Amino acid sequence: MSARWPALASALRRAALLAAGVLVWELVARSGMFSPIIVPSVTRIAYQLWLLAIQPESVVEAWYSVFRALSGFALAAVVGVALGVLMGRSSLAAAFLGPLFSGTYPIPKIALFPIFIYLFGIGSLSKVVLIFLECLYPIVVTTHAGSRAVNRVLLWSAANMGASRTRILWKVVVPAAAPFIFAGLRIALPIAMIVVIITEMISSADGLGYLAMYALASFKTDRMLAVVVVIALLGLALDWLVARLRDRLVFWERLDAYYAE
Amino acid sequence: MAARSPQRSDAPWPSRGGPRDSARVIGVGLFLAMLGLWQLATRFEHPEFILSPIEIAGHVVEALRSGELLAHIGASLVRALPGFVLGSLVGVMLGLLAGVARSLDQLLSPVVFLTYPVPKIVFLPIVMLWMGIGDPSKIVIIALACFYPCFINAYYGARRTPTIMVWTSLNMGARRSQIFRKVVIPSSLPLVFAGLRVSLALSFILLFSTEMINARSGLGFLIRQSESSLRFDLMYVAIVAIAALGYASDQLLLLVRRRILVWQEATSR
Repeated sequence: MSARWPALASALRRAALLAAGVLVWELVARSGMFSPIIVPSVTRIAYQLWLLAIQPESVVEAWYSVFRALSGFALAAVVGVALGVLMGRSSLAAAFLGPLFSGTYPIPKIALFPIFIYLFGIGSLSKVVLIFLECLYPIVVTTHAGSRAVNRVLLWSAANMGASRTRILWKVVVPAAAPFIFAGLRIALPIAMIVVIITEMISSADGLGYLAMYALASFKTDRMLAVVVVIALLGLALDWLVARLRDRLVFWERLDAYYAE
Repeated sequence: MAARSPQRSDAPWPSRGGPRDSARVIGVGLFLAMLGLWQLATRFEHPEFILSPIEIAGHVVEALRSGELLAHIGASLVRALPGFVLGSLVGVMLGLLAGVARSLDQLLSPVVFLTYPVPKIVFLPIVMLWMGIGDPSKIVIIALACFYPCFINAYYGARRTPTIMVWTSLNMGARRSQIFRKVVIPSSLPLVFAGLRVSLALSFILLFSTEMINARSGLGFLIRQSESSLRFDLMYVAIVAIAALGYASDQLLLLVRRRILVWQEATSR
């Protein structure tokens, strides 16, 4: 490994690990120890992956999942950032919303899904509402922490130069909290993917979660694993997008982490 | 993040009757007010699947007395606890080790960070195929999901150990194992607990969703069954039980954390 190209070295290491994993899988599948239904070979999974990519109806299923995940996530991002900034800068809002959020934080919101089905129907809306609710918490918590931690000197100098409260909010508080906001978004996005897949597995007639369960129920393991690969790739791609967006917008400071204290 | 936490500048020992107690009072008041509003709203015309809080409380007491609820809670805990313990234990240990040992770091971290954004629930069908649809497959999925937050938090916690402390203990002649036990582990504990908290919440989400997908017992199954047979009373009982279970386990974890991290004023959220 060369010290001059650390990025290249780590990329090579990842590729080597991935190749090793695929190779081991293929060897196990070819060895005849397991039935092809239990461990289908990589080539068959790849063939099903190709089928998924060229069949328009499977692309539509993927679009359903992504659409649900992203709309719930986007709603949660807008509302969560607004609530978090409000709680961070107003003691009144913090006094009322703080206990509400910390009290309901540890309750698994997925339990409300059956009620949501009755309230919002079995289609996309009940899933989007659940995703919104699950994503809201990490975004609010990190935005709250970030907007509380704004350097006082910056606030004072902005006020000193005659900035109004809303202007301070937009030009000082939100940019200063941006690294935290993006940390929250990166926590929330995988949650959105988890919840969309779960809800589609539980009750749905479309989407990738349904496709995976359907393939399993009809013993098409290779197809199911291809769907799993698609879901995994989607999760990776969305996370990559958020990380690149953060690199563009928050170029001065990074909380390059998946954790929040 | 920690260095800028505003609570740090406050007095180290919060007195009773401080801001936290008033927050608790407001929180309880808000909760009661919402329940009251709900109770009032059910006096007007409403769909059949919405019950009033008093009705729900009655059903919960009834289900507790008949013992039916306890059996389902037990079945759920038997799945969630081994999964959580297994996943978080392995995650914390490997994360701490990867944080201090470069070879392990280079071997493990790329895999973990690459697969982190993948929703782990997608592996449920595969695990079901390999291990059957019984409890082991659910425990494995819960453990897998709990592994990631614990690994990542422990990893960063170990890597954030102040260099000065390591140098100081080296200077005083500490061995590597001693430094790991006496310096690295204590200094990464706050982050480890943050990871445990995330994992705990995840374990419940996965527990109920796996039970909703396929199970013959447990709270998720109870919700599914009562929903499809239009027993809304039982459905609410199960939801209340899940909420209480999630809340209680979180409070328990916070209690343990306050006990262990006495030197750190636990910043509640």
